[in-house]
Amino acid sequence: MWEQVEQSLHSSMVRVMNQVATLLPGILAFIVAFLLFLLIGWLLALVVRQLLKLFRFDERMSLGANAIAEWSPRATPSMLVSRVVFWCFVTAGVMVGVSAFEAGTSEHIVSAWILGYVPRIVGAAVLLLAGNVLARFVSRSVLITGVNLNLSYARLLSMGVRWMILVLTGAMVLDHLALGGEIVELGFGILFGGIVLALSLAVGLGSRDLVSRSLEREAARPVDVPQPERIHHF
Amino acid sequence: MAAIEFSEETKRQVERIGSVDLVVGIAGTVAPEELRVRAEAIVAELGSGLSSLRIVFAWAGENGVSPAGDVEQDSAEKTRVSLLPYTSLGSVSGEFWSGVSAQQRAVLALAASLNARGCIVLGSDLAALQTHVLQLFAYAVLDRQCVVAMPIYPAGRYEGLINTGILSPLSRVLFGKRIHYPIAFDFAASGAMCAHFLRQSAASNGTGPTLLWPVTVAATQFPQQTVGQVHVDVHHRVAAEGLELSAVLGQIVGSLFQEIEQSAPHWQRIRGSQSTPAWGNAPPERPDGQPVDPQPMLDSFLLGSRNLDEVWRLILPPNVLLELRRLARVAPEQFRMPDELWAGIVYDFALAYRLRTISRVHLLGALTPLYLGWVASYIQEVSQLNGAALEQRQEQLARAWEEKKPYLLSRWRWPDRFNP
Repeated sequence: MWEQVEQSLHSSMVRVMNQVATLLPGILAFIVAFLLFLLIGWLLALVVRQLLKLFRFDERMSLGANAIAEWSPRATPSMLVSRVVFWCFVTAGVMVGVSAFEAGTSEHIVSAWILGYVPRIVGAAVLLLAGNVLARFVSRSVLITGVNLNLSYARLLSMGVRWMILVLTGAMVLDHLALGGEIVELGFGILFGGIVLALSLAVGLGSRDLVSRSLEREAARPVDVPQPERIHHF
Repeated sequence: MAAIEFSEETKRQVERIGSVDLVVGIAGTVAPEELRVRAEAIVAELGSGLSSLRIVFAWAGENGVSPAGDVEQDSAEKTRVSLLPYTSLGSVSGEFWSGVSAQQRAVLALAASLNARGCIVLGSDLAALQTHVLQLFAYAVLDRQCVVAMPIYPAGRYEGLINTGILSPLSRVLFGKRIHYPIAFDFAASGAMCAHFLRQSAASNGTGPTLLWPVTVAATQFPQQTVGQVHVDVHHRVAAEGLELSAVLGQIVGSLFQEIEQSAPHWQRIRGSQSTPAWGNAPPERPDGQPVDPQPMLDSFLLGSRNLDEVWRLILPPNVLLELRRLARVAPEQFRMPDELWAGIVYDFALAYRLRTISRVHLLGALTPLYLGWVASYIQEVSQLNGAALEQRQEQLARAWEEKKPYLLSRWRWPDRFNP
């Protein structure tokens, strides 16, 4: 009986080793293809950056509205273009690598799944990046405007806006990756709805007396004659 | 800066008038009848020195309305004074100073089209449309051959604080000319300067500086020529309602930072500053009344120092941040922002503007609490000073900016060098 068990284990080990051995050329092909595209992408990005520098691309772009600089000040247009070129090649490298992997093995399920999923990953990465940049820009705008309006809760407001955008981005990314299914949508809806309801209740119930007192005071107050400003900045 | 183009009707009027000696241009729309009456009164009052000149009074007609309908046009052949409404085809921005600058540029371009020897630009409230003001400006550009003549307004100690705190000392440091008001509603320019503006406008692709800085243009384009100043007893009332300090500060200071960036090769060569000739008599000092309470401005500064640390950290070096934290802890009556510190802060902001350390909108917004901190410190200092002492204090402030200029130069040239 032990001989049979041993034989069975041996044969399954052989099958596993065979399976791994059949996968190895595919993995090797994937790595080679990926590295090759990485190298080409890096070289091409370098060439593109030098060419754009030669044609004074940044200066020409800065003559326009220069929206890139406003949103992401340290990223120059030429840097952005060269990075796009580089990442396009990296993505292409992954795709070609997966195709090479497919050609090297008899397994088609993995490659089909990866090829189908890569656009989602790329889309999610773009969403994540855009969400982060947007959150940083908007929260800083809110903070500075709040301080200039003398709002003592400017920081709180800015943090609230930042996290709201980040949570929204997170939900969108998960939805795009098809992770979590309806739980994400449901959770997000409950979370946002809850926040809005809580705020409504807080203002509606908690400040009811305050609002009525304020309205009464406003109605009873005589019309103010604005005092002339004694400081003139301009 | 958009290219200036006049309507066909304006071009015909210009052609008909031909060349003139002096253009008095109103940078904005006015009531033509009021202008006509006042222009006639001024011409009647003008002394013998200007009586032989051919003068055109120009003002901005309503956009889209042909000026021909409301021209009170005296024939140039019959009299030496003409009234000329002009209509420029470019859109005029509704922002505080952009609109004024666009109109000022249009007036200068119009003067160049008329081959004028000089041009006097006046604010649209007509406060400066006075005989002695025109005489002084005309004397500066026509007789004394100044390329630009800027006004010296009789400002009180609590007035024109952006100018006192930033524009005047910064302009002096950069271009080496001690000018009280580097940007103004009223000024005069020579014919050569007007022609330069016309050429610049023709070559413009709509992306130049938004505001007009006559002193910068004079210093960079006509470095050998004199820039003068005239004392004018004029008080412009700026309608501050609806204007937000941070927006106006951002617009004006941002435009000056842009000028700094564009004229860097020029100002890096300039050391020290020279006084400029001034004509006219300074009007008597007006009493400012009770001292102003600096607490609201101090509160804004403190709020900024509590909340904007993460933004200031990206712009200012650690020693400045340390100094600001120390200032935030002192008692209100002892709150004094040293001149060197304030100058260094503005230089650091100018550098961050150039390097785009953060978004320029955010950068200029983050300057407002610091500026209010300086205002709080300044008004506490000058509340007890009389006219001469106040002037001395302003001179001291400007000197501190000059002494700090090597710091700006060094950081401009080597921004990545260690800066504790």
